[in-house]
Amino acid sequence: MSTVVRIALRNVIRHRRRALITAVTMMVGIGFFIALDSLYNGLDRLSVDDLINFRDSSVKIFSAAYDADRESFPLDKGVPDPASLESWLKRDKRVVAVTPRAQFLAQAGNNRDTTYVIGTAVDPAADPTVFALKNVVSGSYFTPQAGADRQIIIGRELADKLGLTLGDTMVLAASTRFEAQNADDFTIVGLLSTSDPTLNKGTVFITLNAADDFLDLGGLVTEMDVRLRPRVNLSDTLADSASVAAGVKAAFPTLAPYSFQDLNKGILTVLKQKRIWGYVMMLFILLIAAVGIVNTVLMSVYERIREVGVLKALGFRGKEVVWMFILEGFFIGCLGSVLGAGLGILINCYSIYVGFPLQKFGSDVGAGFAFWGTLRGEWNPGSILFAVIFGMVIAMIAAAIPARSAARMTATSALRFV
Amino acid sequence: MTRGAILKLEGVRKSYAKAQRSVEALRGIDLSIQKGEFLAIVGPSGSGKTTLLNIVGCLDLPSSGSVLYDGRELGGMSETELSVYRKENISFIFQSYNLIPVLTVQENVELPMVIERRYSRSEMKSRAREIISAVGLGDMADRYPRELSGGQEQRVAIARALVKNPIVVLADEPTANLDSRTAEEIMSLMETMNRERQTTFIFSTHDAMVQRHARRVIVLHDGLVSEDRKEAA
Repeated sequence: MSTVVRIALRNVIRHRRRALITAVTMMVGIGFFIALDSLYNGLDRLSVDDLINFRDSSVKIFSAAYDADRESFPLDKGVPDPASLESWLKRDKRVVAVTPRAQFLAQAGNNRDTTYVIGTAVDPAADPTVFALKNVVSGSYFTPQAGADRQIIIGRELADKLGLTLGDTMVLAASTRFEAQNADDFTIVGLLSTSDPTLNKGTVFITLNAADDFLDLGGLVTEMDVRLRPRVNLSDTLADSASVAAGVKAAFPTLAPYSFQDLNKGILTVLKQKRIWGYVMMLFILLIAAVGIVNTVLMSVYERIREVGVLKALGFRGKEVVWMFILEGFFIGCLGSVLGAGLGILINCYSIYVGFPLQKFGSDVGAGFAFWGTLRGEWNPGSILFAVIFGMVIAMIAAAIPARSAARMTATSALRFV
Repeated sequence: MTRGAILKLEGVRKSYAKAQRSVEALRGIDLSIQKGEFLAIVGPSGSGKTTLLNIVGCLDLPSSGSVLYDGRELGGMSETELSVYRKENISFIFQSYNLIPVLTVQENVELPMVIERRYSRSEMKSRAREIISAVGLGDMADRYPRELSGGQEQRVAIARALVKNPIVVLADEPTANLDSRTAEEIMSLMETMNRERQTTFIFSTHDAMVQRHARRVIVLHDGLVSEDRKEAA
């Protein structure tokens, strides 16, 4: 070990209490950086999961013909042979569940006022295995009791707009598959409160059986929705989604599969930009920790100015003096960074494997953020590595500032220093 | 240059700016020092002793005049050249010992050799061990400065100063922080080293006992040599 390293290391050990206090400051900064980064990713993930759980699923599959005219909800261009597609999909170990849906445009009313809504016909048994609507319904989900075919679940805001509530009758009017107009009464059994305003304001759900009768679908479904196995990291989730969609496209050229990122390019870009600003904010936390290092090395420099004079009198060059103090900062930085990484990983273990139940934070929903389920962090090894290296580098830079002023002193003025 | 002189000062002046006025610490020093001298610089506080030692030790440059080591003028050297010259030829003993607290006795003594980067690891170890034994601390090589008495610390400082066989050892008030008995021991040790190794010792002091050990005494007064006397051996 070189003498400069030895002196630096032993000075850190000699002033271990001071070094430890500084390292703890860094530990808190770095630990929170890692934990906040994980939770920040978790919040992004929650938004993505909301879209998967309530609207888009992991992979959405239309027929190519339907996809070409999707804006007008053509009920004559359904997914051909959904059963074969489902059994093909289920051979993939990443696929957890598959459900059929049919979407249609309708007018919803209360016998006085009407409003346009998007109707979604679902399979009450299979749909909850892919979507999580059941978890955010007040009242009840579709029940198999008598008259079940005339049950409807609507968004809470839509209900408020039309002055309807649970048990009331909603009139639904729509074009059938053969473009005949039909209208029917449905009993409201559930009110939806999701994080997606479009679902809350303008969507109604009926069963596929009811839609068969109401829209003359004859078993037609307009889309197949796929749920994939849960993954801790968003990047893995997106990779699985893209890969399964690509597999469907290759095996069924007449289908139009959409991965999550195909459907949500804009949202993913916004999340990415948000994350950059998140990093900038978190960097400030680390810079505050760096002030602690400057203070510690400054104290060390002032205490040892005469020692610097002796070393210079013995032949130490200015840059060796600078290195000696920078190394002290580096050792404190290493200690703080490693402790910080440990703290961050510990908090992450809790946030990832246990999580924070969101119901505890309140029950308001519909503002673009889910208040049901569990907020979980995400592992981000790149971010942990960044925090550790940043901690070490910032410690060295912080130490260099007072070290340079010590090195600039002449041996005589350093020796005269009291 | 005087025959055998290792150090010659000619018309050395040094002035400092202090509180917006110039203070002349040395006002024209002419001095010739021979190899192996044991020389004390004495004088009242503010007479210029430390300034003279700093200039002789290449820690500072004169405002005017010349300093010649073995006939080589130091005035024209850059800061780096001066540092190299100092590293290779001059050693220091300080009033408050100034050992590096985080290094052991052995490591403190090795330090000047480590800095010079001219010695092998084994050579550094054996040279340091030899000089530590010579100053009477053979069994304390692994101790840290905080575990030593003042006298022992100054012995380590002497060992550190001598380990590279420098041309000149400069000692600024080397006994000022020691009790009289320890100071006597330290002076005897420096005398022995001077006699055995023919190393030139130049020390500043107020202490009459220290002056008694010197074989030449230079008295400074107001930045000038007021007396230069040889003492009986």
